[in-house]
Amino acid sequence: MALYVLYLDLLVTHQFEGRRWTLPAQVYAAPLELYAGLALSPAELEGELQRLGYRRTTALDRPGTYRVQGERIDVALRPVRFADETRTATLLSVVAGPKGLESLRDGAGQEVPVLRLEPLLIGSIFPIHGEDRIVVTPQEVPALLPAALKAVEDRKFDSHHGVDPVAMLRALWVNVRARQIEQGGSTLTQQLVRSYFLSTRQTFTRKIREAIMAMALDAHFTKADLMNAYINEIFLGQDGDRAIHGFGLASQFYFGKPLAELDLSEVALLVAVVRGPSYYDPRRHAERSRARRDLVLKVMAEQGIVKAEDASAAARRPLGVTSRPAGAYYPAYLDFVRRTLRRDYHDQDLTEAGLKIYTSLDPRAQEQAEHALERELARLDRQHKRPEPLEGALVVTTPQSGDVIAIVGGRNVGYDGFDRALDAHRSMGSLVKPFVYLTALESGRYNAATVVQDAPIDLKLANGRHWQPENFTHEVYGPVPVVRALAESLNLATVGVGLDVGLPKVADTLQRFGLPQPPLQVPAMLLGAVEVTPLEAAQLFNGLASGGFHNPLRAVRAVISADGKPLKAFPLEVSQVASPEAVYQLDRMLVEVMERGTGRGARAVLPAGLTVAGKSGTSSDFRDSWFAGFSGSHLAVVWVGYDSDEPTGFTGSAGALPVWAHIMAGLNTSSWEAPMPEGLAEMHIEFPTGLRVAPGCSDDMVAVVVPGDASIPAKPGCSFPDNGNPVTTILNRAEQWLRGLGH
Amino acid sequence: MSAWLIAACLSGCVVSRPEPTLPPGAPLPGETPPGETPPGSTQPAPGPGEAQPPPSERPPAQGPRQFRLGPAATALVTQAHAQAGSGEFGQAAVTLERALRIEPDNPLLWIELGRVRLGEGNAAQADAMGRKAVALATGDPSAQAAGWRLIADSLRARGRDPEAADAEQRAGTLSPH
Repeated sequence: MALYVLYLDLLVTHQFEGRRWTLPAQVYAAPLELYAGLALSPAELEGELQRLGYRRTTALDRPGTYRVQGERIDVALRPVRFADETRTATLLSVVAGPKGLESLRDGAGQEVPVLRLEPLLIGSIFPIHGEDRIVVTPQEVPALLPAALKAVEDRKFDSHHGVDPVAMLRALWVNVRARQIEQGGSTLTQQLVRSYFLSTRQTFTRKIREAIMAMALDAHFTKADLMNAYINEIFLGQDGDRAIHGFGLASQFYFGKPLAELDLSEVALLVAVVRGPSYYDPRRHAERSRARRDLVLKVMAEQGIVKAEDASAAARRPLGVTSRPAGAYYPAYLDFVRRTLRRDYHDQDLTEAGLKIYTSLDPRAQEQAEHALERELARLDRQHKRPEPLEGALVVTTPQSGDVIAIVGGRNVGYDGFDRALDAHRSMGSLVKPFVYLTALESGRYNAATVVQDAPIDLKLANGRHWQPENFTHEVYGPVPVVRALAESLNLATVGVGLDVGLPKVADTLQRFGLPQPPLQVPAMLLGAVEVTPLEAAQLFNGLASGGFHNPLRAVRAVISADGKPLKAFPLEVSQVASPEAVYQLDRMLVEVMERGTGRGARAVLPAGLTVAGKSGTSSDFRDSWFAGFSGSHLAVVWVGYDSDEPTGFTGSAGALPVWAHIMAGLNTSSWEAPMPEGLAEMHIEFPTGLRVAPGCSDDMVAVVVPGDASIPAKPGCSFPDNGNPVTTILNRAEQWLRGLGH
Repeated sequence: MSAWLIAACLSGCVVSRPEPTLPPGAPLPGETPPGETPPGSTQPAPGPGEAQPPPSERPPAQGPRQFRLGPAATALVTQAHAQAGSGEFGQAAVTLERALRIEPDNPLLWIELGRVRLGEGNAAQADAMGRKAVALATGDPSAQAAGWRLIADSLRARGRDPEAADAEQRAGTLSPH
């Protein structure tokens, strides 16, 4: 018996001393940069503060609060560690007008040119068994918490020796009589032992074993150590696969703010949850958890921990839990983060070493994107009435930096399952066409006005079969200018151009822009028989959106060790993969796709005057509906289809385009207005024929950009200001226009 | 060498150079100057009797312009110079990336970042950023010249002197020192 006790003593003290909580890596969103001129309304600024768990008060009494005084918002910023800088708690005054932020001042009234809010904690990378926690030091624990725990769970914690036989007996008696759990029989120390050894079997021998171990712990360690261990150890909720351990994480999980900032009613709610995180889940069983919170408050008042009036005031407060738990709700994004880091880190480093990971996620863009996808898929499902629900995935980037700011991996955004944005390899369909035409522009033999033949094609393939592609409409359009072939996504014209410039050249263009695998060089490649994931499609189009410069798309900016040392940075990298002139000419044609081609349906949703460029994609038999497009500051790629690969019955314009348009409309994005490279000229051609026209001599003309020395046949009967080349034409017009200014 | 580059940058780069004097009515950063049309904008063709020319009939977007940095980017560039000056190139780059997220189309910031990359010995990235800057700086000869000088320096750092001389010459043609 004595040996057994000694064994248990060694076991539990070893466990306690060796207890290094495995600290899952914490993942942060991009911090919001504030500066005068930023287009952020007062309401949006307040929304951002609330997202970070800031509380509106009348007096700025502590970090994590703000007050609104007319147009001025004063914020008591919390201390924060960024990837590159640590900042102490500080005061900030922001004047926000209807047009955006007007000025920023610090506590001393000094102008602040730029300042970032702290990054939002968006989740953590926890191990397979799912234990997630944020460890807190005793200094980060509000004094009310240990007091409340003792009052409710273990009144003699400070004096007993690990077990409390009287409490055990009384609990048994009370529980039997009251038929509800009013008092637990186990001391905090016993609960700690139970949690360490993860055994929930309710047997008598287990109880004895637990009691002996609790006494051993009590003999070896101080009450303060045990209390701190309890606060960091105990199980407080479940979120899918993720087990919420410790009050530090529970505070973020339920209230979206640090433990130190919890008020009386919030502390009481967490203490209430201890008894049964599932039974008293405040999100699922609000009434029940509220009743128990109020009971905790009553006990605290009875025990003299708080004044009775404070307790009853706290009992009048709402539960205050956030509608959705902080973190782990961006599974597709976190998936990308995890995969990025897996190249450099072992799983164990990520799940145990307490790393801090700083990412580019933009929570506002992410939420916009999630809502747009869900809403539009629900609408499409209603229209198409199939037994299988439609699925979708999307990626949003800021093209110049290559930052991935949002990823949605499926309709059920909270579900940590199949991540279509990264894993659904689907035919890219007509998304390939811009790369076919870019290759043609680069050859120097084509420009936007070049007339190409949209004519029947019959190719005998290597396997002896014939390939006879058709246009979407099953019609043949004859001679058409390139700008129209792309805008209307004509298959036959595109195949003709692609075969002329050569499959290897087109394949090379795709690879330069970031296609990871060499595509199979068959003619069907020209119509998109190339499988890509939405993320890969975003990589390809990102190069078009940033003027022919390739940036490896990145989610992670930096990784910092638990003690604040920078471990790894993912710096901005660019490489030129195409000439700016060719990409500009192509991008101008992609603008026409939106103005008069397969993307024009977006117009009704987008803000008036917003210039965007894009391309729809529909794979064979309508299995995949794609849209990829960009503004001046954002790129979004959307895929819609069935997981089963069944035909959807609709095109990219009908399925993915509305999702894309709603995302863009919600982003507060800017127009695409890249400067026209030198050596190019803008001119008007007739959309159906490609003939050069002057304003007034055609009903259907389009502005295109071509090399300055290109000679474009003029429409007979059109009178031009001069018959010279287009550059001089434009210079003449410029001169006339400037003279006009003088009057 | 790197310290010299930074020193050169401090004396000649964006922030510390004299505030350029803009002609009246010149565009502020982020504004579309009068008469300058967003090149992507497409307007319906004018009816025969319309007096106002549609934007696409106006002069192309390469009217002389001069890029400047907004106050937020200026503050970050100043901070980056201090970091690079004490050899913290990685930190300086992170700071400049913050500025670039605020003004992603400003060639001056790409030149700054390219200078830092060159300072830490990454001439290939410096070269690419110089080219990015030149592309964005269309219409601003002095910013284009600064981009070409960055390209020239990064070529020289890799021993490609003849190409560097070409780049230097392009810079000289655009904007003599």
